[in-house]
Amino acid sequence: MDRDALIQRFTDVVGAHGVISERNQLRTYECDGLANFRVVPSVVVLPETSEQVRSVVAACHQAGVPFVARGSGTGLSGGALPVSDGVLVVLSRMRAIVEVDLDNQRAVVEPGVLNLQVSKAVAADGFYYAPDPSSQQVCSIGGNVAENSGGAHCLKYGFTTNHVSGLEVVLPDGELVHLGGKAPDPPGYDLVGAFVGSEGTLGIATRITLRLLRKPEAVRTLMAAFEGTDHAGDAVSRIIAAGIVPAAIEMMDALAMEAAEAAVHVHYPEGAGAVLIVELDGPAAEVEHQFAEVERLCQEAGSTTIQIAADDEQRALFWKGRKSAFAAVGRISPDYYVQDGVIPRTALPEVLRRIAELAGERGLRVANVFHAGDGNLHPLVLYDGDVEGQEERAEELAAEILYACLEHGGSITGEHGVGFDKKQYMPKQFGADDLQVMQLLRCAFDPEGRCNPGKVFPTPRLCGEVPGPRRVHPVEAAGLAEVF
Amino acid sequence: MTERVPAFDLHHPPDQALIDDCVHCGFCLPTCPTYLLWGEEMDSPRGRIYLMEIGLQGETMNDQMVSHFDRCLGCMACVTSCPSGVQYDKLIEATRQQVERRHPRSRRDRAFRALIFRLFPYPRRLRLLRGPLRLYQRTRVGTLLRRVGLLGRLPARVGAMERLLPAIGPAQRLPEVTPAAGERRRRVGMLSGCVQRVFFPEVNAATARVLAADGCEVVAPAAQRCCGALSLHAGREAEAQAFARDAIATFEAAGVDEVVVNAAGCGSAMKEYGHLLRDDPAWAERAAAFSARVRDLSELLAELGPTAERRPLPVKVAWHDACHLAHAQGVRAQPRQALAAIPGLEVREVAEGEICCGSAGIYNLTEPRPAGELGDRKAANVLATGAELLVTSNPGCLMQIRAAIERRGERLPVAHVAEVLDASIRGADPGSLLDRG
Amino acid sequence: MAATLEGLERGDLVRPATGADTVDGIPAELVAEPASVEEASRVLAAASRAGKKVVVVGNGSKLGLGNPPERVDLILRTRRLDRVLEHAAGDLVVKVEAGARLADLQAAVAPAGQWLALDPPEPGATVGGVVAANASGPRRLRYGTVRDLIIGITVVLADGTVARAGGKVVKNVAGYDLSKLFCGSLGTLGLIAEATFRLHPRPAAAAVVTLQVKRPEQLGEAVRQVLRSTLVPSAIELTWHDPFGPSGVLTVVIEGIRPGVEAQAAAAAELLGEVGEAEVLGPGGTEAALSQLGALPSEKAEVGIKVAVPPAELPGALTDLATGWLGHGRLAAHAGTGVLRVGLSGPNPGDPEQVEAFAGVVAKARAALAARQGTLVLTEAPPAVKRAVDAWGPPGDAVELMRRVKRQFDPDRQMSPGRFVGGI
Repeated sequence: MDRDALIQRFTDVVGAHGVISERNQLRTYECDGLANFRVVPSVVVLPETSEQVRSVVAACHQAGVPFVARGSGTGLSGGALPVSDGVLVVLSRMRAIVEVDLDNQRAVVEPGVLNLQVSKAVAADGFYYAPDPSSQQVCSIGGNVAENSGGAHCLKYGFTTNHVSGLEVVLPDGELVHLGGKAPDPPGYDLVGAFVGSEGTLGIATRITLRLLRKPEAVRTLMAAFEGTDHAGDAVSRIIAAGIVPAAIEMMDALAMEAAEAAVHVHYPEGAGAVLIVELDGPAAEVEHQFAEVERLCQEAGSTTIQIAADDEQRALFWKGRKSAFAAVGRISPDYYVQDGVIPRTALPEVLRRIAELAGERGLRVANVFHAGDGNLHPLVLYDGDVEGQEERAEELAAEILYACLEHGGSITGEHGVGFDKKQYMPKQFGADDLQVMQLLRCAFDPEGRCNPGKVFPTPRLCGEVPGPRRVHPVEAAGLAEVF
Repeated sequence: MTERVPAFDLHHPPDQALIDDCVHCGFCLPTCPTYLLWGEEMDSPRGRIYLMEIGLQGETMNDQMVSHFDRCLGCMACVTSCPSGVQYDKLIEATRQQVERRHPRSRRDRAFRALIFRLFPYPRRLRLLRGPLRLYQRTRVGTLLRRVGLLGRLPARVGAMERLLPAIGPAQRLPEVTPAAGERRRRVGMLSGCVQRVFFPEVNAATARVLAADGCEVVAPAAQRCCGALSLHAGREAEAQAFARDAIATFEAAGVDEVVVNAAGCGSAMKEYGHLLRDDPAWAERAAAFSARVRDLSELLAELGPTAERRPLPVKVAWHDACHLAHAQGVRAQPRQALAAIPGLEVREVAEGEICCGSAGIYNLTEPRPAGELGDRKAANVLATGAELLVTSNPGCLMQIRAAIERRGERLPVAHVAEVLDASIRGADPGSLLDRG
Repeated sequence: MAATLEGLERGDLVRPATGADTVDGIPAELVAEPASVEEASRVLAAASRAGKKVVVVGNGSKLGLGNPPERVDLILRTRRLDRVLEHAAGDLVVKVEAGARLADLQAAVAPAGQWLALDPPEPGATVGGVVAANASGPRRLRYGTVRDLIIGITVVLADGTVARAGGKVVKNVAGYDLSKLFCGSLGTLGLIAEATFRLHPRPAAAAVVTLQVKRPEQLGEAVRQVLRSTLVPSAIELTWHDPFGPSGVLTVVIEGIRPGVEAQAAAAAELLGEVGEAEVLGPGGTEAALSQLGALPSEKAEVGIKVAVPPAELPGALTDLATGWLGHGRLAAHAGTGVLRVGLSGPNPGDPEQVEAFAGVVAKARAALAARQGTLVLTEAPPAVKRAVDAWGPPGDAVELMRRVKRQFDPDRQMSPGRFVGGI
């Protein structure tokens, strides 16, 4: 089927207003939140129902055309980067909250629903949806499912995968299946668990059953300033050792604070080398008691100033500063690169030192923002793309930081996913057999290799192949993937 | 091979440096009214900036590209939500100017825009319409046409104009000078506006009274013309500059401390005069100095602090933030403060308050369909507050939301914040505000 | 009959089976007991070459699950893969070999004041068995199930390939989440050789509030009230000793620091007091209740059934099931999550009519539960009963996809063939 025929097919399914084929318009979709990689899709389709998604995917299947799914396009690993000559299926028009079932603590939503919208919809009844990535006001649930998104509060409450109990999925051949549901322990393989975090490579989720939580009785938040990240890290260790599980522990260093202050005016204490935001939530009696202890532990670790949020507004301000930090860094540097790596929490001081060392060696600055509670780092490598060679050095530094994470037993990604950006590092974290076995899953879902190809795995596996001499995969031959 | 004509020429194209501030994070998407309506990247701030960028790279400005720029409401909600500080307002302004100069519009489009810009910035011409329109309304011709179904047959844009018509009352003119009550604390100029002075003269009267009550001598030069807001926001650069020079000169001559504006769109435009006239060496400094003295009514009142007593008005009101006041000027606290100072007045927030009502200057005339959908959305949110009165600070919003409420078959009185303050200061009966169409 | 697998010495690694080595009454030929991942890989590779069907057994407590396997040539016991490999207390992470008993894991991390938040009832269960069977207990209400606690896994596939997924850090989205795929897979995708979990601090104090329940509606109202409140219970358990007789007991467990526990217990008692007779237990009662928490409904049951419904459907499900045959059963439920376990002493496996009647009743129950989006599986039954009643019930529309997954991981159907859903 040629492009025009495919466009006609799509138009028959979604109507002309749902198909984009003009070049300038297509170009607005050529990247997601990671603007470093751009590929113009051949066609963009915007379905509005599960049935339309099914028909679109079936058409792609018949035509032998690869496709990529996209939600709000805010991902930071290039997961929604289109495939050249491929179709981009945009789910932003499927944004209905289909059902709210508070007695079972479930909500059923379409993939284009924005993360924060779920919480807003159930707030009046005293519920909320826990996974809260910093981009929650714009990122979509479908995107969250693809990336297994976390957020600041995942230390206590877990990630998207712990809050999805059911999925309706369109498989890459156009078949529609139902995985899991509202009831616990569905018999069979945990395909919901396998699908969440699969970065859009196994199919397109068209309905998602989410778990809702009751809003806690009490929330207390403090912001503690320290001389440096070492002291702040020590405070975190003491808190964990005391058996306290805060809802969130976030750390920002001096450079990150500078950026956030420019954007949000939080009034960080002057001269602070690092700041910790610690939030506790739960039953009031428990929170009061533990909060006092956290304050004490911060002081013991040498905190210079402790601000306690007096009300919801102040609490929101603390968080706004933290959540805007990435984009706010644009104010103190012409360009920057957000890295995402994980290390065991106990390795934090050492790795931060290493990052500072590496940055110094390359003459670049790194602002650090991270989820101190679970060791998920977000070093922001600052550079000026207009200065010769700086962009390359910045990329190198970002890679070095990842290697440092791996050296300490961590992971190349805590939240943002592997996508396109990090598939080259997969062989550094996993062995060849590990990657091949993971791809068995992909072969079961997508034997033709057309669903978001070229993502996550550097070397695609030919499905159905037996051990023996390697054959070149068509995707590789087409230049969409490389062997590292 | 035909050469591709790049989208922009060298006279103030959208600034690459400003475009580079965009990090593609997408935080602007959920606050953009057109993204809310259509869910398409091209009709979002991020997408529009992207189109500007590829235009700078040399892509052609074709109909599709222009349509996305045209469909931007210019509400600046994205400016408020952007964590990177992208100055989208400057970008869209520069882009619209380029579009006006370089893109050939359809004959119908051109004719319609010509009509608008020959009419709305000219109070004297608007005034000529008052009589016939009043007759039209009093004889209920419109209602008859609507009932018979003929009104629906008119082109959407004309129908849009018809629906937005406010009820035309008796004519009023602002006095040239309104003396301050008691001690004179300031001598302020007042913009009487175009639509405001012709169709809502009672709002201007109330504004002058409120300012006077709080100690301002109010100078409303009779010679003043249009401030150029509609032209500026539509990308008609030369026209806007001419109006700007005129306004600056008029108010300089009046010798006032500040210039007070009671229409959000106008205040926003006047605060941009410095930027608008930056290329003109004779006017650049004057314009910047002038812009620094422009105040929205609520801003000035907050700065001064009230002197006249606010008498009780036991009314539940919904406050609507006009985009050009909240997003473009960053004025949100002051109108709320002003209302909060009225004893007995309960101010209710409107859900999705940061989303534009769809008025957006002439948007509800040039793009009636999305404007209508946004108006409907706003009307639903306003009615959901259960308020007895809708209060806002912009004539465009007022007309747009009222029309949308009426479309739903509902009734809700609407008032300008000046009228509410005026009623409070005069100790008027709430009925004076509530018993209106 | 072979005494070992080709290429492997007969001895500790592989030896002939004895009479005790059966699965659902099917005797095995050989038994293997690898002591390392590398040995396990060699065993499975050899079994694959020899075309032997393999069933993995830990402590044997989950062998009742699923349908009888088509064949059992080799039983792979994980008894010697029993080490606690690593406990990073500062990171709240523990890594163990699959043959380690859950109790031993808990003992290893207890000195640091931590625990793995899993409390399934089967004593002596191995970690591998718990993962493979997705076993859970009452505290799943608060902490989730195995899939919510496992962060890394090492598996050995049927052909001996060793693969790792996840890692040692809680936050990790690199690659596919194979850990979850293997949770509940009942050994049909491969051997779970090692697993890494996130730990929680062990709560310092506990309180128990009980409510006497006389009718399912009362149960529903009580659970609803608790779940809608801001209480954070660790468990909400229902036991009904006299099957559908005069009363059952709802037990709400609150755990945490003492001040919080006391305040919540009082609040819970007040809340539940609106629904019926509620009380906060004293220290002795609390201890007894906690030690009994989540116990299987009947020690002597020959047939075990697990029903799972959305929790708000539980009262309705109880009413659906309260027909004659269930009157012979004893019942325990995780009322907050919607999981109900029933222990029955019938039907008589030697009486074909009884067995057939039982099959009919199960079919009817499954249909009724399906209307509540629920499922019914057999957790334990004599082979004769299993031949008449499919352990899993009608699979959903994803069964073909599951078969494809199986075909990828175990193309020769070597691992526990026929035990799983859809004949997998």
